[in-house]
Amino acid sequence: MSNLNKQVHDIRKPLNAISMQAELIKMLIEMQTPDSSNKVTAAATTIIEQAKLCSTQLQTLFEYLEKNTEFEKR
Amino acid sequence: MKSILLIDDDINFTEVASHIMEYLGHIVCVAVTVKEAQEWLQHNDYDHVFIDFMLPDGSGLHVYDYMVKNGKKSRCTFITGNPKIKTAISDITGPNVDYLMKPIEREDIENALKPKKKTTPPAKKAASSPSQKQTPAIAPNAHFDCLIGESPAMKKLYKMIERVARSSANVMLMGESGVGKELVAQALHNASDYEGDLIATNCGGLSKELIGSELFGHEKGSFTGATGQKQGVFERAQSGTLFLDEVTEMPIDMQPNLLRVLETKRVSRVGGTQEIPINCRVVSATNRTLEEIAQDNILREDIYFRLAVFPINIPPLRERKEDIPLLVNTFLTELNQEHQESFAVTTSQMGSFINHDWPGNVRELRHTLHRAFIMSEPGTKQLEVPSSFASPFSNAKNNHNSAIVSAGKTIEEVEKTLIYATLKEVDGNKTMAADMLGISTKTLYNRLHAYGEPL
Repeated sequence: MSNLNKQVHDIRKPLNAISMQAELIKMLIEMQTPDSSNKVTAAATTIIEQAKLCSTQLQTLFEYLEKNTEFEKR
Repeated sequence: MKSILLIDDDINFTEVASHIMEYLGHIVCVAVTVKEAQEWLQHNDYDHVFIDFMLPDGSGLHVYDYMVKNGKKSRCTFITGNPKIKTAISDITGPNVDYLMKPIEREDIENALKPKKKTTPPAKKAASSPSQKQTPAIAPNAHFDCLIGESPAMKKLYKMIERVARSSANVMLMGESGVGKELVAQALHNASDYEGDLIATNCGGLSKELIGSELFGHEKGSFTGATGQKQGVFERAQSGTLFLDEVTEMPIDMQPNLLRVLETKRVSRVGGTQEIPINCRVVSATNRTLEEIAQDNILREDIYFRLAVFPINIPPLRERKEDIPLLVNTFLTELNQEHQESFAVTTSQMGSFINHDWPGNVRELRHTLHRAFIMSEPGTKQLEVPSSFASPFSNAKNNHNSAIVSAGKTIEEVEKTLIYATLKEVDGNKTMAADMLGISTKTLYNRLHAYGEPL
């Protein structure tokens, strides 16, 4: 797998996690179990973490692309 | 309620996916490598396996191959994060395989787990829906996707299944070993409108200690070794059918617990306090006769009436011999397809199949055919059928008259039974009977007179 390919794949991972954690939150609200609110908080925390991770990965991807396009220009 | 194996190396994904699946009411095991998945599969049977393509020590296809080779019949859903992969591997298709793209939504999981039979029209005479893979329904003439036979005895059975399937009555299946009680349970489930699954458990195969936990589930820490929470079969069969095989082998002191569940329609896990409402049809099965059940005190009377709201007798194979050719051909076609052979049965071979008594019923017939299939020269068309199908059990049944000789009987009793058995054998011809017994006709008449027979 090319480097670019791998990086895109890695960015998908946190995005998937975010979307599925949101799905979980929807279910937790529906079910209204006694500890739902704790679990919702935990899921939201994971979402924030994953969003940060995603942001870092995008930065890495940006730097990688910048370097490679500069290389092309030369 | 299904058991699921989730295989993916992305911990963030497995964690949230297993939560969602558990909230949907399923049990989930997680594996992160091919090796780990194989270990899980070696010791457990899963209803459904979700496999990621890219695993640290191989591909998801390795897991799939392993399952195929080991005869695992779980349904498979491949998960991929990359749309390109999906097209690349779409050639492994089958009724039991489908695909999901990440990110997975709740509906995706629900759809993947939904029993596929609901998507096909509820055809009575099964245009064998491809999803019914659990019972290899290749026979186009299979009733309810799994039963074969056109004899009057079977027709009567089909009618009963159809009637009772529409109701929610508990059914008790009675029949000799090998008549296909589990298949009839499957047929009942297929013909019903239940949305849940068919969950089967064998009450005879469970130890006294574990039977409670198997049936009702347990809470974590309720006994030594209960390291996690477990749902019992009653919960797993929610909105479906629970098949209790060999129910008469259940220890009698466990039966009051079962009775309570059947009566209250609520189950509480071992060590648990919460009562969980249940909603499933209980199909139980036994190979004992009604007389044995009543006499030997193996099933409490109150349980019997709860379980056998609708008793169904499955006829032994010798009472529906006209179905033998149909069964032989179906099994042979199955074997031929599986091994790419083209064996056929000659008329005389079919005759010997029909003439045998099959004390082990359809199971014995099937295994006899399988044995013949293995013994036959590959590539030829001639099936090597053994000259006799005798098994230790067929001998025992044929000589059941010898069973009258057991300690505790008087000579007179044995003599009387022997005389009547002999008379029955020769259709009441007293001269022949006396000849066979090695006594004079006069002695025979004297004996019969003593038994109070009119002369």
